[in-house]
Amino acid sequence: MQSLYVDADSWMHRASPRLKLGSLAVLGVALFATTDLRILAVTLLAGGVLYLNVGMTWREALRRLQPVLLTIAFVTLFSLLFNPWHEAAVTVFRLVTLTLFAATLTATTTIAAFVDEITWAATPLERIGLVKAADIGLTVGLVVRFVPEIVGRYAAIREAHEARGLKIRLRTVLVPLVILTLRDADNIAAAIDARGIRRH
Amino acid sequence: MSTRDLVLSALFAAIIVALGLLPPISLGVIPVPITAQSLGVMMAGVVLGGKRGALAALIVVLLVAIGLPVLSGGRGGLAVFAAPTAGFLIGWIFAALVTGYMSELLVKPEQSSISQGIGFFIASVAGGVVVLYAFGIAYLALAAHIDLSKAFFGSLAFVPGDVVKAVVAALVGRAVMAGYPLLPQRG
Repeated sequence: MQSLYVDADSWMHRASPRLKLGSLAVLGVALFATTDLRILAVTLLAGGVLYLNVGMTWREALRRLQPVLLTIAFVTLFSLLFNPWHEAAVTVFRLVTLTLFAATLTATTTIAAFVDEITWAATPLERIGLVKAADIGLTVGLVVRFVPEIVGRYAAIREAHEARGLKIRLRTVLVPLVILTLRDADNIAAAIDARGIRRH
Repeated sequence: MSTRDLVLSALFAAIIVALGLLPPISLGVIPVPITAQSLGVMMAGVVLGGKRGALAALIVVLLVAIGLPVLSGGRGGLAVFAAPTAGFLIGWIFAALVTGYMSELLVKPEQSSISQGIGFFIASVAGGVVVLYAFGIAYLALAAHIDLSKAFFGSLAFVPGDVVKAVVAALVGRAVMAGYPLLPQRG
């Protein structure tokens, strides 16, 4: 599984992740505070320029956004049935602008940087005893490590079905998949504890 | 949180991610193949209970946020949260929470198969349909600037598919409880 980070070198890549996330949050609020189509058009253009200069080909850049843009288009058409066109236009501009800036952020920030930011943001929660901030990185690592194994397990279960001439049904595939995967939990937990990874 | 609980939640998050990578599977009864990822969220609740199920869903949402293409179709990144359907993603956390806690309350190992199945089904619908759609519709109305009632009726078309998923989740929950019970008991 490849991350959505685009390995290039631009001023956006070099900017601090905290600054970028903060700006995105502020932008989100600002976008919903204005209904002036001209301002929204400017922000939309700015977002487009930034996103298309992140280091991807334009085709790849648009391909990534295709599902989100389709959803926005669908919802806008739906809202056009009930709202005047000005409102629908404002909605489209807002959502697409937000999408472009969000996608730019994702493309210019590595997963490690994100995990660092979230770990830092979780330290106040650690003080109240809700989470251990270091667990966040561990958890992300665990999931990424085990997804291929689970996909492999699914393939094995599917082959077992075919070998027995059974049709592949969700019910008969999911149950072994879940049980076999979760049975590993004790061993994995023991391995983690044996290495003292959670010994904060 | 014990290491075992953390690992269970992480493994189930991995299952949810894997379900997004798999091609749609057919149910057997209905000829239309469905994507199993949202089914995975309901399963997290019925198998692991409220706390760990919600944590599994939270982990998946986190993975999306940090830029991994874990949603079905290879979607991921912060752009997903800008979409008007983002409420249906964030709602996963609360759906798993409600499904899980209701499963803990309603389903006991001593009950008959049918009672367990019904209990898990009610829990899956309560979480995976009622709570999930509450979040999805609320955010949809907010982000797309439509009336709550319009957003509600617009989303209704997807409910039958999710009710079918609730049935599958109930069957899976029952079978896992028989084979490898992990559901905490409560109430």
